[in-house]
Amino acid sequence: MAELYPSIAQCAVVATAFKVLLFPAYRSTDFEVHRNWLALTYSLPIKEWYYEKTSEWTLDYPPAFAYFEWLLAQMAHFIDPNILKIENMGYDRWQAVYFQRTTVILAELLLIYALNCYIRSSSQPAKQTSYAAALSILLSPALLIIDHIHFQYNGFLYGVLLLSLVCARKQSGQLFSGLMFALLLCLKHIYLYLAPAYFVYLLRVYCLGSKTRLDIHLVNSLKLGSGLVIVFGLIFGPFIYWRQLDQLLSRLFPFGRGLCHAYWAPNIWSLYSFTDRVLLLVAPRLGFVIDQDAVHSVTRGLVGNTSFACLPTISPRTTFLLSLVSQMPSLVKLFLQPSWETFVGAVTLCGYSSFLFGWHVHEKAILLVVIPFSLLALKDRRYLGAFRPLAVAGHVSLFPLLFTAAEFPIKTVYTVFWLLLFLLVFDRLAPVPSRPRVFLLDRFSLLYTTVSIPLIVYCSLAHQFVFGERYGFIPLMFTSSYSAIGVVGSWIGFLVVYFTS
Amino acid sequence: MASHKPRRRRKEDTSDATSRDVARPNPGTSSSSPQFPLASFLWPAKNSVSQWVTLPLILMVVGLFRWATGFWGYSGFSIPPMYGDLEAQRHWMEITTHLPISQWYFYDLPYWGLDYPPLTAYHSWLLGKIGSIIDPRWFALDTSRGFEDQLLKVYMRATVLVSEYLVYIPAAIILNRKLGRMLGVNNWESLVALVAILMQPATILIDHAHFQYNTVMLGFTLASISSMLAGRALWGCVFFVAALCYKQMALYYAPAIFAYLIGICMVPKPNVGRFLAIAIVTILSFAISFAPLLLGSILDQYRGIPVSTTKETPSPPSITSLPFAVNEKSWYFPSSLQLTQSIHRIFPFARGLFEDKVANMWCAVHTFHKLHNYRLGQMQRISTVITLITIWPSMMIISLFPYRELLPWAMASTAWGFFLCSFQVHEKSVLLPLLPMTILLGSERGLGTELRAWIGWANMLGVWTLFPLLKRDELRMPYGVLTLLWAYLLGLPPTSFSLYFGRQSKNGELKVLTKMLHLAFYAAMMAWHAGEAFVPPPEDKPDLWVVLNVLIGFAGFGVCFLWCSWQLILRSGLMEDYFGVRMKIEAADRKKKQ
Repeated sequence: MAELYPSIAQCAVVATAFKVLLFPAYRSTDFEVHRNWLALTYSLPIKEWYYEKTSEWTLDYPPAFAYFEWLLAQMAHFIDPNILKIENMGYDRWQAVYFQRTTVILAELLLIYALNCYIRSSSQPAKQTSYAAALSILLSPALLIIDHIHFQYNGFLYGVLLLSLVCARKQSGQLFSGLMFALLLCLKHIYLYLAPAYFVYLLRVYCLGSKTRLDIHLVNSLKLGSGLVIVFGLIFGPFIYWRQLDQLLSRLFPFGRGLCHAYWAPNIWSLYSFTDRVLLLVAPRLGFVIDQDAVHSVTRGLVGNTSFACLPTISPRTTFLLSLVSQMPSLVKLFLQPSWETFVGAVTLCGYSSFLFGWHVHEKAILLVVIPFSLLALKDRRYLGAFRPLAVAGHVSLFPLLFTAAEFPIKTVYTVFWLLLFLLVFDRLAPVPSRPRVFLLDRFSLLYTTVSIPLIVYCSLAHQFVFGERYGFIPLMFTSSYSAIGVVGSWIGFLVVYFTS
Repeated sequence: MASHKPRRRRKEDTSDATSRDVARPNPGTSSSSPQFPLASFLWPAKNSVSQWVTLPLILMVVGLFRWATGFWGYSGFSIPPMYGDLEAQRHWMEITTHLPISQWYFYDLPYWGLDYPPLTAYHSWLLGKIGSIIDPRWFALDTSRGFEDQLLKVYMRATVLVSEYLVYIPAAIILNRKLGRMLGVNNWESLVALVAILMQPATILIDHAHFQYNTVMLGFTLASISSMLAGRALWGCVFFVAALCYKQMALYYAPAIFAYLIGICMVPKPNVGRFLAIAIVTILSFAISFAPLLLGSILDQYRGIPVSTTKETPSPPSITSLPFAVNEKSWYFPSSLQLTQSIHRIFPFARGLFEDKVANMWCAVHTFHKLHNYRLGQMQRISTVITLITIWPSMMIISLFPYRELLPWAMASTAWGFFLCSFQVHEKSVLLPLLPMTILLGSERGLGTELRAWIGWANMLGVWTLFPLLKRDELRMPYGVLTLLWAYLLGLPPTSFSLYFGRQSKNGELKVLTKMLHLAFYAAMMAWHAGEAFVPPPEDKPDLWVVLNVLIGFAGFGVCFLWCSWQLILRSGLMEDYFGVRMKIEAADRKKKQ
């Protein structure tokens, strides 16, 4: 088997050059959020981290991420001590920008390492496909847009997730995989959405014996249990000791926020609100009762409690139950057939469920689906068929994150480049499935992809030309409804493939 | 489509027609691996992938790098009262869209008066018209001076990018393909060379960071070369005149092109018809380029629009110094006035020998022996004579041996001669000699050890001499990124020494002396960067680092000039048995035709 070119390292070098060139690009308030966290972890004792509220961007990630920020702050001290002053709100001298952007790039090295492990762990015949999948993750436009322009540390966090997924592949790594995932939860609690799949998989393959399904493997259970207690204990321990757990949890889970996030993540609820909007237009003719207070709420796209004009209001409990119920069947299958690929499939489906039905979902959370799915997309052409609309929808839905003119060519051209390159490569590499696949889906995804072009043109250029600043919610609504159709479509496609293979 | 099989199957990599320049055979196996990272990146496209897929991908990537470079600063940002090159270009869009055409070359000359040939003016007019639709404040007459707005910057950056994608990039693709086909270069290797050409750091930095429209002129030049390679000399003339009428700097290439055209009219036997055709087409092209300006000013005079809004009509020196008096009322007066004024503006003979510090002969000599003491006219004459002496040999060779494949070499050689010895040279002019050198990466064995080492070295040196200019624009970061990226892609120092010490170096293509020379310059450049960054210059010599840059640059460019000229002589076959080689070539030509 010949070496594969270009190597991951070579791609990383060129991608890094590009990311460094993007240093002066637009950055969202998340940049200031992370600067504030650097400052508060550096200048305050741990006891006060979760009480500090000088800036409105209070610490709302779990403690392990705060420790990570503390570590970065120790380096920041040598670059520019002004970064580390809490009262320096909105500080964005070039030293701060260079430093924080560099930390994102450096932290992403973990992702590169994890991808390397992934390629090494795959069997010889699948080397080429896993190499292509790894490259697609490394060069993902979602990571470029969210991490290197918008500003966040997802590359690093997904590196931890991938490392944990890769470890779960081998029997010897399963304990480590579980602990790694526990650490990931302590870094960012959004990964709780994936926890059911981990729970079921580790329970089945690690804690229960292989002979009968109810034969408990005591040593392994003890190892895993005590390991988890140690990980959580080390990270949350101090806060429990200081009796700050309630305060900490109230920061992590702010339930005061609305059903839909400001930009409308492309999930069931955005379709739901879209239907509500449409009903609002036709309601007077049909004689529905309209909740007048609600008429203006969703259109403004404000973070807050969303109310609907025609359709019933959704409570957090409903969304929680819906996510859980939709995860159940995939978990049952995982319990019955606990292979690594089923496990990754279940992780993907958990991501789908939480993204589609969750409360106050960010559009950025689409990575929870895209990244685990990338590992499976090349399994055969049926998987690829389900992946395609997701790849289009997931990335188009991120476009509203960057709304400045200068970044428009970057986000669109880079995404088109990535889609063209990887969908073509995947198309060549994906093997023929053992079962016939539904060609209707292919037609659907082709049509779907084509529609994205006029949509992007309308949302970013034509709308402004026709309406100016008015009706600003329309492009957002179109983008998210369009993307929601793609995400739901790919979810259905993936469900079919998952349950029939 | 009823089957569930994939529509296309991947071809197996069995054929391996690529040369060892790019692909190094792995000992003991039939496979091979890439020689440098750029080859790795295009490795998957080596077999069976259609250019219709790879080319758009390449264009997107190089476009992304260009656009991202544009995020950084530009020349003259927030430096009143004159600002910089971006303001100059914006100002031209302002005056061309608001003033009658007869006033373009006269309006408020001290504030960035138009001093480029008419095609630039028409281009500015078009861009100004389009931009005014988006926001009329950007180009409002007089009030928009020094206007700085995020969206305006985006618009200006976009105009550079679009102009480049309309002129330079298609021309580079066509020329690269033509050169490759002519010299029998494998398609895939041509593609590798194309990416190397399009990622050339100096051009990206000057146009997309510092801000200029050089690629339009360079693109017309490439189109001209490519027409000449295709044997369409007349189209070559049209494109070259377009380059000249866009930016007068294209004159650097004029001697080589002129000599080549003379050559194809004389060798193998004199061809008067061809000569006349070339002369007529060239004159016509100039006439068409200047026609809107000249006809427009006749029309303006007819309408009674004065040439200048100030009281006295300025007369360019060239029109007053004519031996006969020109009647100001005559019909031809406005056009002659426009013509002389534009030429007077385009060729600023009155300016000094050199402006900023530039790595050419005059600036280097000036360091040791002050040249202020001489009269300007005297110096200009001396520099003209020395330039002519320098480029004479190359001109002679290309007109005696007007082979198409020699043209880029001759252009590189004369452009270096011009850069080193003529007066009023800008540091940015180094793009001109670098262009024909860089396109040679796409020629026969262009990616082999020798050419890659030399062309890479010249480019690294060229972009390094631009550093003081880029530093003033706060562009150190993109300079570092793009330069190191290019070095990395092509496997050049300081990222890789494989050309000099590795496996490739053992084939004896690079002489020991060459290796020592290149490495000494690389070492000097790196030491210079370290010194410039950490050691402040002594108080009595504040320009120490810039002067050192100029001296090292001058020495290196001198070597580049000698190398290009030497290659031209070697490749012309002058050194070998002249007639024998000629006959061989003619026989080969005949074979090709059959």
